[in-house]
Amino acid sequence: MTNLLRVENLSVCYESRGGRVTALDKVNVDIRSNELLAVVGESGCGKSTLALAIIGLLPNPPARVLNGEIEFKGTNLVQLQPARMREYRGTQIAMIFQEPLSSLNPVYKVGDQIAEAIIVKKSREDGHAVETEFMQKTHKVTLPSKVPKRPRSGKRISAELKQEIIASLKLVRIPDPEQVIDRYPFELSGGMRQRIMIAMALSQEPALLVADEPTTALDVTTQAQVLKLMRELMEKVKTSILLITHDLAVACQVADRVAVMYAGDVVEAANVFELFSKPLHPYTEGLLSCLPTGSKHKVDLRPIPGSVPDLRSPLVACKYASRCPHVMKKCTEKKPDLIEIREKHEVACYLHGEKNGTDTANN
Amino acid sequence: MEPILQTIDLSKYFPIQRGINPFSKAKKFVRAVDGVSVTIWKGTTIAVVGESGCGKTTLARAMALLTKPTAGDVIFNGKSIINGKTNLKQVYRDLQMIFQDPESSLDPNIRVGNSIGEPLEGLMGWSKAEVRGAVDKSLAAVGLPLDCVDRFPGQLSGGQKQRVAIARAISPQPKLVILDEPTSALDASVQAQILRLLLQLQKDYSLSYMLITHNIAVAEYLSDFMAVMYSGNLVEYGLTEEIMAKPRHPYTIALISSAPIANPWKRNLLQVEIRGEVPSAINPPPGCKFHPRCPYADGICSRQTPKLEEVSQGHFVACHFKEKTA
Repeated sequence: MTNLLRVENLSVCYESRGGRVTALDKVNVDIRSNELLAVVGESGCGKSTLALAIIGLLPNPPARVLNGEIEFKGTNLVQLQPARMREYRGTQIAMIFQEPLSSLNPVYKVGDQIAEAIIVKKSREDGHAVETEFMQKTHKVTLPSKVPKRPRSGKRISAELKQEIIASLKLVRIPDPEQVIDRYPFELSGGMRQRIMIAMALSQEPALLVADEPTTALDVTTQAQVLKLMRELMEKVKTSILLITHDLAVACQVADRVAVMYAGDVVEAANVFELFSKPLHPYTEGLLSCLPTGSKHKVDLRPIPGSVPDLRSPLVACKYASRCPHVMKKCTEKKPDLIEIREKHEVACYLHGEKNGTDTANN
Repeated sequence: MEPILQTIDLSKYFPIQRGINPFSKAKKFVRAVDGVSVTIWKGTTIAVVGESGCGKTTLARAMALLTKPTAGDVIFNGKSIINGKTNLKQVYRDLQMIFQDPESSLDPNIRVGNSIGEPLEGLMGWSKAEVRGAVDKSLAAVGLPLDCVDRFPGQLSGGQKQRVAIARAISPQPKLVILDEPTSALDASVQAQILRLLLQLQKDYSLSYMLITHNIAVAEYLSDFMAVMYSGNLVEYGLTEEIMAKPRHPYTIALISSAPIANPWKRNLLQVEIRGEVPSAINPPPGCKFHPRCPYADGICSRQTPKLEEVSQGHFVACHFKEKTA
């Protein structure tokens, strides 16, 4: 499998009054084509920052990319002009957010919103070259001139376009799509809204779909339906998915590969079967032993002692050192690199792999 | 075993008004809880599970007298607490509640020590010194340092705040604690700490718990009994072990198989067959409320509401076709 997206040494910080918070600290992650990569971690570990950095939506200020690259199909997205980035965002890389009600426009009908996505895509296909040339000449952030206005009501949508909208709604299994296109977002349930977001994202046929906690606001039975749908559509549309989640069990159920983040670092990345059967990093082990997987009479939960370090003070050491049961002297001196220990299993820990030890000696 | 709390056909309807005429007679109701009878046994934990809007929180609020039930009765410690003849102070002392979000259940402008201590002065009639002693004792019991007394909630982490909420609940030495989604706002590692703490406290203070949750894994871990609710009705009740191993109501089956489990070899989530979503509580479907989504539904299901019947010792199911799932 080839790499679709490669994040290399990416560091992102947030400047705040209390000091600089390092949200991502030299993160390395790959996403391969037609793969579902789940990034898991607890709140504040930087997983959403990673998603926003990839799609180029980091709020700047306060966020700032310090260094590193995001290579997508041979282009470094970090150094792209905002106008050039807009060619990728939405078309090549699409995103769905946690709360669909706040990502859909409440005053437009669902059908019109999907129509807009389809129209934008078509106009980009037609007027692509003109638009970019213009952008490069002026170096100004201007809206693409070719994007037509959003159709005001269902009546003005051509029959052909309507068929396309209905087809995209059918793809995400919305019952009677002919009715749904004339509804407003508030008239739909949470699961339906999230499906519409997926329909809009996939109408662009993106190479990568970034899903930031797409099912956290949904009920379990709806969550199961949405995740199942995402997995099926991934095979159908041939896209890759980056799933950001705090729920290890969800990641375990749908992902091909899982990357575990802790305090701004990717500490372990492996095939889902490898990661859950033979976790190597002590944090992954700790996280897995925190999951209730049976009755209190059979399962003994072992919570991780201590708490997440303050990210305002830059740590040179392994950030997990203060909570780690296997902490050694060199853990507090230098951060271990993310190294491939076995095939498709990377870990950043001195306990594993000779290479990490020799690296420190050479430096 | 003796019961600590029993509800008998407990119902709570919320009136809704359509239009602006305040004298309009045509009132509609949201049947949040519709004739639920459950028993909580002393020293055990019952988990009430279900999806949002199924009425599990309303049931808990009605039990804790935070909302007046429309019909039915709540028997606490052998006495009805609805009829207005019982000593409510005693009830408030013996029945405590822990809420989902410690952010909003703790006053941000009151120091932790006062948050825990103030209710004790009124409820227990203790002197300042006695209250101070009890606060220190309950802080120690939940594993917080004693210097937390003088801090504000804003200076604590999410897990610490939930510990404060737990300390406040256990300080009047209650008999029953209602836990309303106690860990849903917390991260996995903090959730594990709180779950362990709750088990430890149950042992030390011989507490009974009623756990409200949508997280099946948490319910399975913490509870002895399980009650499954759907759209205001109790659809299945029994020992947790039995329900998890052999669910009988089609909704329980769907709910358990939709719950993600941390085992990549058992990808139950991608095999789930459930369709549709939870019905509106204002216009619920007639008969069994689950029938539009049920794979076994037949003509009778849309006409007649099934009654809760015993299928094996202590295992109750409300379904017309319960023999099909055996």
